[in-house]
Amino acid sequence: MISNILQIILDVSSHHKIPTVIIGGLALPAYDVARTTLDIDICIKIKSQEQLNTFIEALEENEINTKQKPKIDHDLFTVFGKNSEAEIWLKPCDAFPWDDQMVEKIQLFFGDVFVLAIEDYILTKLARSDRSSIDIDDILKIIISNKDSLDWDYLHYRIKWLDLESDFKEIVKAFELDFNNNIRNISRDILDKFK
Amino acid sequence: MRQDKEKRAPIHITLADIERAYKKVDEFQRLIERGKTPEQIFKDMLRLIEVDK
Repeated sequence: MISNILQIILDVSSHHKIPTVIIGGLALPAYDVARTTLDIDICIKIKSQEQLNTFIEALEENEINTKQKPKIDHDLFTVFGKNSEAEIWLKPCDAFPWDDQMVEKIQLFFGDVFVLAIEDYILTKLARSDRSSIDIDDILKIIISNKDSLDWDYLHYRIKWLDLESDFKEIVKAFELDFNNNIRNISRDILDKFK
Repeated sequence: MRQDKEKRAPIHITLADIERAYKKVDEFQRLIERGKTPEQIFKDMLRLIEVDK
């Protein structure tokens, strides 16, 4: 059993066949990383305003409400349950929309909980307009934990897609810094894979 | 697909930052070795969020 508000949202989105993933800090354990977070961030892929309205009505029937009037071109809206709240995003990140490849690459975490492909998740951290040092720390940890399973070609493709090459090079520089100071093999492996 | 990069904070990672990232990854792996699963860790995080709210 997961939290009430999250379970209801997942049940409603599943019933309406809406692709849904956990994003933000709460998704980190799916990538073998964890840190504290105070937010429940959920991302849904909505096809039309009509589908969004139906989804919101179904949540309201389950006592989960929003005070906003969400439109399909909005980034996100907040919903409130009895004791908790969640942010529902209509795109994986404020900097880019869903596309078919992203949906195809969604991966199962457990039960009925899904997350983005690890490379797309990294992109949500790197591309967000209000990214912070916490996002950069998350990216470092995800790369360290997943260096052997990352699809580096796909990651390169996505970084180029958003014109984030110079930003990602700063991430790579951190592993150069570590290898030059600590001769750590994992950092060397990551640098080799990046090439 | 170009973005408005001016809005984003520049990235500056220090040696301490990357060393801390390695340390956190090790801590997570120790939790896994002790029998915790990523699913349990996710549920623990959710419980903490709900307590906070």
